[in-house]
Amino acid sequence: MRNRKLALGAILLVVAAAAAVLALGTSPGSARSTAAFKAAWIYVGPHNDGGWSQAHDEGRLYVQKMLGSKVQTTYKENIAVGTQFDQTVSSLRAQGYKLIFATSYGYVTPAVAAKYPDVKFEQATGTLVSKNVSEYFGAAEDTVYLSGMAAGAAAKCNTIGYVVAFPIPEVIRHANAFALGAQATHPGVKVKLVWTNSWFDPSKEKKAAQSLHGSGACVLGQNVDSPATGQYAESVKVPWVGYDSDASKFAPKSWLTASVYNWGPYYLKRVQAAMNGTWKPGFYYGNIQDGFTKLAAYGPGVSAKAKAQIAAKMAYLKSHQNAEFTGPLYDQNGKLRVPKGQKMQVLKGGTNSLYGMNWLVKGVIGSPKG
Amino acid sequence: MRLTIERRLDQPRWLAAVVPVVSVAAALVLAGIVLLVTGHDPFSSYRKLFDAAFVQTGSVGQTLIAATPLAFTGLGAAAAFRMRLYNIGGEGQLYMGAIFGSGIGLLLGGAGGASPGVIAAMVAAGCVGGALWASIPGVLRAFFGTSEILTSLMLNYVAGYLLTYLIFQSQSYWRQTKGFNATVFPTGKPLPSNAVWPAWNVHAQGGIPIPLGAFFAVLAGLVLWVLYKRTRFGFEVQVLGDSEGAARYAGVPVRRKILAVMAISGAVAGLGGASQVGDFSHALDGDPNGLQKQAYGYSGIVVAALGRYNPFAVLLVALLIGGLDNAGNTLQGADFPSGLVGVIQGIILFCALGGEVLVRHRLRVARRVAATPELEPVA
Repeated sequence: MRNRKLALGAILLVVAAAAAVLALGTSPGSARSTAAFKAAWIYVGPHNDGGWSQAHDEGRLYVQKMLGSKVQTTYKENIAVGTQFDQTVSSLRAQGYKLIFATSYGYVTPAVAAKYPDVKFEQATGTLVSKNVSEYFGAAEDTVYLSGMAAGAAAKCNTIGYVVAFPIPEVIRHANAFALGAQATHPGVKVKLVWTNSWFDPSKEKKAAQSLHGSGACVLGQNVDSPATGQYAESVKVPWVGYDSDASKFAPKSWLTASVYNWGPYYLKRVQAAMNGTWKPGFYYGNIQDGFTKLAAYGPGVSAKAKAQIAAKMAYLKSHQNAEFTGPLYDQNGKLRVPKGQKMQVLKGGTNSLYGMNWLVKGVIGSPKG
Repeated sequence: MRLTIERRLDQPRWLAAVVPVVSVAAALVLAGIVLLVTGHDPFSSYRKLFDAAFVQTGSVGQTLIAATPLAFTGLGAAAAFRMRLYNIGGEGQLYMGAIFGSGIGLLLGGAGGASPGVIAAMVAAGCVGGALWASIPGVLRAFFGTSEILTSLMLNYVAGYLLTYLIFQSQSYWRQTKGFNATVFPTGKPLPSNAVWPAWNVHAQGGIPIPLGAFFAVLAGLVLWVLYKRTRFGFEVQVLGDSEGAARYAGVPVRRKILAVMAISGAVAGLGGASQVGDFSHALDGDPNGLQKQAYGYSGIVVAALGRYNPFAVLLVALLIGGLDNAGNTLQGADFPSGLVGVIQGIILFCALGGEVLVRHRLRVARRVAATPELEPVA
């Protein structure tokens, strides 16, 4: 018992001594110019995940490059939704970061926005616009559709595997677009889903890819953040369609293409607006036309015929955003969901809108409930 | 020549004091080398770490947010480990506490300021949820001799999937179903305002809100201390922990003790889950990138070990680890990879736990193998 008390006392003593030494030491690095405008990015996975977060970090670096010493940027990676996000915002705010790009939906809640009224939040993929919260995203479904066309053309069998994160409208929309694209170049092809219930989990993603390949998929695609699916595809020599970032270096032979984002120009615009006091909350939905969404460079497995088909469709989608979600669209049970000639809208239409979609199109195997 | 570790027959008092000091110093030196090699100034890094945990504006408040759940899971683990009952299921028990606590909060809550009745019901529900979940491995161990380590660990995953199911894969009572935002991204239904636990605001550092849960954690520590140190129940648990055979011989009802201790351990972790919902998230958090990513239950095992299962020490360690955790967030960034933060945290914990071994055991260099006395293996 005495020993324990003594040990506890000793630990306290060390902590106190360390505190004293640190308190007397040099003040924390405030050498940097305080004039620079501070903007921070918060990532749900590592900044170099080879996918989603990496694309955002490239956007951050673009802002840093364009504005140079006028701006000071930083990022926080692997931040959990909930209390850890709150802690991160609190410490960023204490360091003078008043513009925060929260790059995953679920981070900024009305409660958090109200708790830090002097912080300008920018949140990717959501709809929660308020006094100090902007939302931004883009019509990736158009480019995902085009990448689906590449997958369909490359499929020598009748099943394509698609590794998906959460059963939420964003992912369901992309899975549907991918399936519709694949069916355009490969009529009747089935797209089989496996949910990982995580944005970034390389080991689960690999297992999902394994199980899809094992159950007959001869092409793999994904709507998750890491290139694990691609690495697996490379090892079993099947074509692969990525997502978010050009990840061809992880699977040079299997790589077909991917729908990728160019976040940089949007970030630059918003940082500049915050710097000169013209920042206003809003909802931005980029597209192929304004360069927000793109198709990554093709890999060796995309045929000349597929390239021509994709190019023609891309030209059409440039002037007809979201045209792939024009009726007639049938769900998995063959029920007509969107009548002929009608196009789904981004926000309006409940479960028949792009942001509210909770059903999978015909030809997709899997449950929209996860 | 070979190196052996053997149990110390007597633990000199000076050693108990010197070892922690040396371990922490060793950790700082080792982590300092890592920092130097990676091109960071160790002194300014430590200074930043400390500032971010306890000095900078709002830091103590944020440290308490990280420390409160660790205190609960640490106490929960300690309560079971005392009896050498290795309940690794604090994680799942915390989830169940959160599910039960938020369920009752949603059910009984209403408009207006914090209601003591609703909060008390949430506390009770959280404890029940955790205790029930812990009782599954408890019963299996008591009646069938199944290893509680494995069963409690497996149940963590089950509870995690249940959490995900309630928010992401079903239209459950816990899920927010009103409004378009709820369709776009599933979230938990927010607690009514009188089910939100109040915080006691200390006017320092620009306001330090001390969560109600932190008071409950201290209270839980106090109750556990009294229970284990001042009651017959506690004495029997100690005896059972030291030698099951002796306890049986002395007529201690082993089965009942296993059931009771598992339930207590789970109840404390479950209370942590209720606090998580009532104090911080104000809705059930089903996101695997949210509560489940924090791994409070697993960290609680480390907290319990560092606190040597002493409730007061556990509370103190929870505060320190909470600070380390919170500071890690602040430290990481474009010029300081989060992996490096993890390495430093790991080195500190490793040295602190490694030092523990040296208090109870000693290293011996045996030159002649034949002369080695019978050794007791180290767990």
